[in-house]
Amino acid sequence: MTDLDSPSPAETFDGASTVEIRTSASAALIPTIRAVASDLAARADFDLDAISDLRMAVDEACATLVDVAAPTSSLRCTFLVRPERIEVHAQVETKHADAVVSTDTFGWRVLQTLADEVSVLHRPGGDGAAPTVGIRLDKRSGDAPR
Amino acid sequence: MPEPRTDLDAARRRLLDTDFARPLPDTVVLTVRGEIDTLTAPAFTAAVTELADTPEPTLVVDLTGVRFLASSGLAVLINAAHRVETRGSRLRLVAVTRAVLRPLEITGTEQLFDLHADLASALAGGSD
Repeated sequence: MTDLDSPSPAETFDGASTVEIRTSASAALIPTIRAVASDLAARADFDLDAISDLRMAVDEACATLVDVAAPTSSLRCTFLVRPERIEVHAQVETKHADAVVSTDTFGWRVLQTLADEVSVLHRPGGDGAAPTVGIRLDKRSGDAPR
Repeated sequence: MPEPRTDLDAARRRLLDTDFARPLPDTVVLTVRGEIDTLTAPAFTAAVTELADTPEPTLVVDLTGVRFLASSGLAVLINAAHRVETRGSRLRLVAVTRAVLRPLEITGTEQLFDLHADLASALAGGSD
């Protein structure tokens, strides 16, 4: 998956319901996004720990991205809700093409612990498109044995 | 649209509330209510640092009213626990909500603190 802008056809047709939120890339709006994450997980019958983990993971991802977002840009967060898991794509436009999300922080380690899968996607932009950074994470509805 | 600074300040005040009390001799309690995230982490850091700087031997952070704890807030608590430990003491936490207990559990940082289910037990000392 190289495009965070739109779900691939497979995802559109496999029964995932999609919720997309776009806000100003501001820390003041992250509480709203994590409230939506929590609500979606509760409605999808996630267990209480998994709801808490998803809420924290989404918060962490969004806070990380808001940090590198270009001024006055947007934060877009897409939730793909499946029967057993929720996939989240969060993305911002960045000030510079070489803006990076640092993955050697305590916050990133916590994010890796909270989510079942997590990855970063940098796109340098060009052809009039602004550079973007995205974080994709996956959370299952209950704790599988580790 | 540049964001007026006051919006962020208003959001911070709405989200987090901190209070200090000295209910017993040699004991300081920091009571925190609200959500600890990237927005409120600076205020939380200031309050916890102030607590860790006090000379009293018994330091308690009452997180009963905390509805969200992000890694930024957890890092602040971990640093404070280490500082208190260098004085030969342990930071006492009152933690009841899943929003607080789950981050401690999943990061394996519970053992850095003396955890208590209510303030009375935290004041009495020992560990639950």
